[in-house]
Amino acid sequence: MGSFLVLLLGEIQRMKKYNILAASVLISLIWIGIMHFTGIHDVTQIFPLFIFLDVTSMSILLIGVTMFFEKQEGIIKTLMVSPISKAEYILAKTFANSISNIETLIILYVYAKLFKEININMVGLFSAVVLVSFFHSLIGFVFTYYSKDFTRLLMWMITYSFVFMTPVLLEQVGMIRNEGMKKIFYVIPTKTSMILLNASTGGIKPWEVYLSVFYLLIISILLYFVVLKKFDEFAIKESGV
Amino acid sequence: MFGVKNLTFKYPKNKQNTINGVTFKIKEGEVFGLLGPSGVGKSTTQKILIKLLHKYSGEVLYKGDDIKSYGKNFYQEIGVGFEMPVHFSKLTANENLNFFKKLYKANANTDYLLKRVGLYDDRNKKVSDYSKGMKGRLNFVRALLNNPKILFLDEPTNGLDPKNARIVKDIIKEFKQKGGTVLLTTHLMNDVDELCDRVAFMADGKIAEIDTVKNLKVKYGQRKVDIEYKNHETLEKESFDLNHLGMNEKFLRIIKTKEIITMHSKETSLDDIFIKVTGVEKHG
Ligand SMILES: Nc1ncnc2c1ncn2[C@@H]1O[C@H](COP(=O)(O)OP(=O)(O)OP(=O)(O)O)[C@@H](O)[C@H]1O
Ligand SMILES: [Mg+2]
Repeated sequence: MGSFLVLLLGEIQRMKKYNILAASVLISLIWIGIMHFTGIHDVTQIFPLFIFLDVTSMSILLIGVTMFFEKQEGIIKTLMVSPISKAEYILAKTFANSISNIETLIILYVYAKLFKEININMVGLFSAVVLVSFFHSLIGFVFTYYSKDFTRLLMWMITYSFVFMTPVLLEQVGMIRNEGMKKIFYVIPTKTSMILLNASTGGIKPWEVYLSVFYLLIISILLYFVVLKKFDEFAIKESGV
Repeated sequence: MFGVKNLTFKYPKNKQNTINGVTFKIKEGEVFGLLGPSGVGKSTTQKILIKLLHKYSGEVLYKGDDIKSYGKNFYQEIGVGFEMPVHFSKLTANENLNFFKKLYKANANTDYLLKRVGLYDDRNKKVSDYSKGMKGRLNFVRALLNNPKILFLDEPTNGLDPKNARIVKDIIKEFKQKGGTVLLTTHLMNDVDELCDRVAFMADGKIAEIDTVKNLKVKYGQRKVDIEYKNHETLEKESFDLNHLGMNEKFLRIIKTKEIITMHSKETSLDDIFIKVTGVEKHG
């Protein structure tokens, strides 16, 4: 088995043992509760919204949580003297995140199919989740690098959500109608993420989708190299190496 | 195996160098002791040798090549026992070992090792439910799980009871017998006496002394015999050089004519050498 796979399976095993997966399922249940009580029958339009929160804030948080556990327990140090590369470590974490996101997606989708009406391009949504989750996992790394403790990380995450997600959410629920303002939103990654998730419900112009994919890919790749480069610094500073 | 030349290192946060021009070699198949007062930079030196700290100056060679030229496979043949236990606390001992074992090409028989250190029956317990000594022993097993060629052990018997410390020391000896190389850090001079072929004493970021344990004892050795005897009704003490004792008239007279209360021969212990070489007495 390659190291990447070992690390990925290890991540998933730990997500179970440290009750992170359980927490993620609980959040899915809350979304189901909300879908249930809103009384909206065709949930197609609001469905991406729930997924959106999971792949953005939750992805950031999940990276932070697991890395803080590892830091506390001296694991990062141990992994650094194992025959694995930093890239494998980072990618295993982002993939584990995607898997958790996909789990949420499936739970919510199954509920919507069984009890509500939903018309969504699952392949499209699936791909969007993977890409958006990858980007936000990387954001999670950056926030973790620059946070002394978990509280600090939480503050970063809340700030990010507030600054980048509030406008997108307001637009999504129809509270922002100014066209100029909407244009500015295109540069913020959360908006791009939302476009991609929404694309699965139809009604988004192809060029907008392509542009969003391209934009998100480029900034993800750039961010990936930053995360890779800064890893040693973090590991040395934060794990008391 | 390792060649360290003019090694100098400063932690980014600190003003002064922690390591200040250290030079030594670790030969294949030997147990090399790195000793010195707390905070002198022993763990730091170890961390440089295992490529955890990069921004040093000087040269560190492994098997003749700069350690910087090695990729991740460097770690295939290296086992590291950190100073502090490092485990996933919510995983069992077995789960911890199995996870790490899969990362290596070669695997040791960890069941056997767990049995040796007396953890086998607790192998399915979460590490968070382990005692300090149990975590320490698991740390030791972890260091061996890839059948390493070279072992870095940072105070491996720290916090262990005498029985478990004995077992750990025995395993280290067996490791050496099979051709393994060890870099050992410890504050226990008895362990050094028993395990180390050569030792380096660090003081003020430098190597103050480096030699075989035997040579150091000869070099710093004072061989004496202390006698307490009764002289009429008072107790007298006298100290004699062990060398040429049989020709020492005063000594011979005392043992012939006086009532001896106690008589002890004294060799310089590594403790004494430690204090002398590193000058900890000066710094308090
Ligand atoms: N991460 C770090 N950042 C800054 N300074 C550090 C760091 N780690 C260690 N130091 C400093 O470097 C010096 C050497 O530390 P090191 O841990 O190498 O000592 P040691 O010889 O192993 O001591 P001990 O016997 O107590 O384990 C100490 O003064 C310590 O304060
Ligand atoms: Mg130390």
